[in-house]
Amino acid sequence: MSIITISNLRKAYGGFPAVDGFSLEIPEGTVFGLLGPNGAGKTTTFKCMLNLARPSGGSILFYGKPLVPETFESIAYVPERSVLYEWMTVNEHVEMTRRAFTSFDPVRARELLAQFNVDPRKRARDLSKGMKTAVMVALAFARNVKIMILDEPTGGLDPVNQRHVLSLMINEAAKGNTVLFSSHQIGQVERAAERIAVMDSGKLILEGLVDDLKGDRKIVEGIFPDIGFTLDGIANDARVARTERTERIVRLLVTGGAEEIAARLSGAGAAGVRVLDLNLEDIFLYAVSPATATADVVAKESST
Amino acid sequence: MNYVEWLRVRNFLRIVVIVLAIFVGLGIILRVSVSRYMSPDVWVHQAMMHPGVKVTHATLPDGTQRTIIDDLAQSTHAVIDDHGYAGKHIVITEPSSRAHHEDKQVNVGSIQVFENHSGNMTTTVIDTNGAVPMVYYMLLADIVAIIVATILAAPLAREIDGHLEITLTKPITRLRYALGAIGADVAGIVAASFLTVLAFYLCQLLFESARLDFSGLNSRAIVMGLAFPLAWYAMLCAGTTWLHRSYIWVLVFTLPIAAFVGVLTIIPTNSVVALFVHDVAWVISRVDPLTYVSFAQPNEHGLLTYSDSNFTLRLSMQILFFVAYSALAIFKWQRVEA
Repeated sequence: MSIITISNLRKAYGGFPAVDGFSLEIPEGTVFGLLGPNGAGKTTTFKCMLNLARPSGGSILFYGKPLVPETFESIAYVPERSVLYEWMTVNEHVEMTRRAFTSFDPVRARELLAQFNVDPRKRARDLSKGMKTAVMVALAFARNVKIMILDEPTGGLDPVNQRHVLSLMINEAAKGNTVLFSSHQIGQVERAAERIAVMDSGKLILEGLVDDLKGDRKIVEGIFPDIGFTLDGIANDARVARTERTERIVRLLVTGGAEEIAARLSGAGAAGVRVLDLNLEDIFLYAVSPATATADVVAKESST
Repeated sequence: MNYVEWLRVRNFLRIVVIVLAIFVGLGIILRVSVSRYMSPDVWVHQAMMHPGVKVTHATLPDGTQRTIIDDLAQSTHAVIDDHGYAGKHIVITEPSSRAHHEDKQVNVGSIQVFENHSGNMTTTVIDTNGAVPMVYYMLLADIVAIIVATILAAPLAREIDGHLEITLTKPITRLRYALGAIGADVAGIVAASFLTVLAFYLCQLLFESARLDFSGLNSRAIVMGLAFPLAWYAMLCAGTTWLHRSYIWVLVFTLPIAAFVGVLTIIPTNSVVALFVHDVAWVISRVDPLTYVSFAQPNEHGLLTYSDSNFTLRLSMQILFFVAYSALAIFKWQRVEA
């Protein structure tokens, strides 16, 4: 069942489309990673979802219904940058959250703050960027909500606390709650997310289970004896998503049947035919910048 | 839901309390310093030095210390009734040639002076413990309230300046949030007025048993004294709600600009340029609560009164400004995006 349904979302700033016909369904009880290069429209999408920005078109449904103020009792949001009140102490932020949300657990919040080594007596202005992120994350995870929307939730955190945040996200999903998060650190997404979507220029360009995306996509590479080789129609195979020729070398990005296509490539006269796996970073890079991605994958493989 | 705004108000009120406490402290120092001058004994002692002056002391059945001074050479007769903490009642009779030839009453705080000319003699009655008109207190309270109102007057702009992700993801409508924030600030401004009145009442208590006069024009002074800072607050609120960081400049410069515009409305219009400037300033001043402030002033008899007969209109304008500007601020707030 989809807990969040985004349909044909559009948001333009001064005629520039920040989000352009974006649609997505987020299943309940999953950790969902939203990826995209800078300016892809991830943060704008989050803001539109939460009514922080008014969409130019489309619809967003939570539990099949439009967002109303009461819905925020079951949604926690951690924005990309610190929105803490610089003049307030961490304890006062805890109290503010306690007064605003009935489901907030201040004891849990203090436990989390202690785990992040944040002194709750300090004012926000005296905290580092990472500590501010930790405070926002702690306040969000102490709310016992069904939906968590986290925009770069590990920004500024040290590796230990980054891992801690990822564990918290996975634990939430284990409890049946839904976590939607964005991150530029694809390794983190690969570690925590069950499903991902990739945005670019305000559009959805890739979406699916991480394991499926990784399992389907391969690079098939072969070297021909001379430059004037032909591929005997291999490039026209529906499973070949992209063909790249560099002098005697050919690289094929395939979305299935990699071994079969490798055999056909050998049959066409290629030597040293190899099938290379893609990790999530490769998939992401291919999705947002195909030419760079395949070259990069092959370069890494050759160097090992 | 408006915890942050209440916290902000509380912090500003703390500063107000500290400043007022300093004033009370200065009052205590002043009280200790002038304690020896607060008795008529010094004056009586000096009077006794003059040849021909006769001074008589008596204690009345109610405990009042009465001092009678007869200066036969100057034809002056003075009766000083010292009621201790309850003040003094002084009656001085002297030849008219040494006084104004008219009846006159002057009130300064709790001190009331009444001069009566009759024949060739003038009688001056001084009461040092009259009821203090609230208009004096409200004047002081308004100064503090305007400062507090100006500082507080950007509750929504402060949220726009980097906190919308917190404010707008609370389970509350934008309207209710805005009303709550404005309500918290209104409570803070009224509290600042009350604290100011209380502080200066304490200062007065240091010197006498203070009595406050809420009758007549004083009740008007209270209403106007509360309405004006609130209207001023609402105007700044409306003027800042669409701003991010630059709201601070609006808060800093609006009062001097409003005062300057007010001055321009009273410049002599003896040239085309002056007339143009005057007219432009006059139009601008119509939407400024400062234009509609009404203060009590002493009349030709020394009695405080509202010289302006349009008090009701002026008060109505303050209330209208508060409602209209608040509504404008909320209207803008409904359209704010992060």
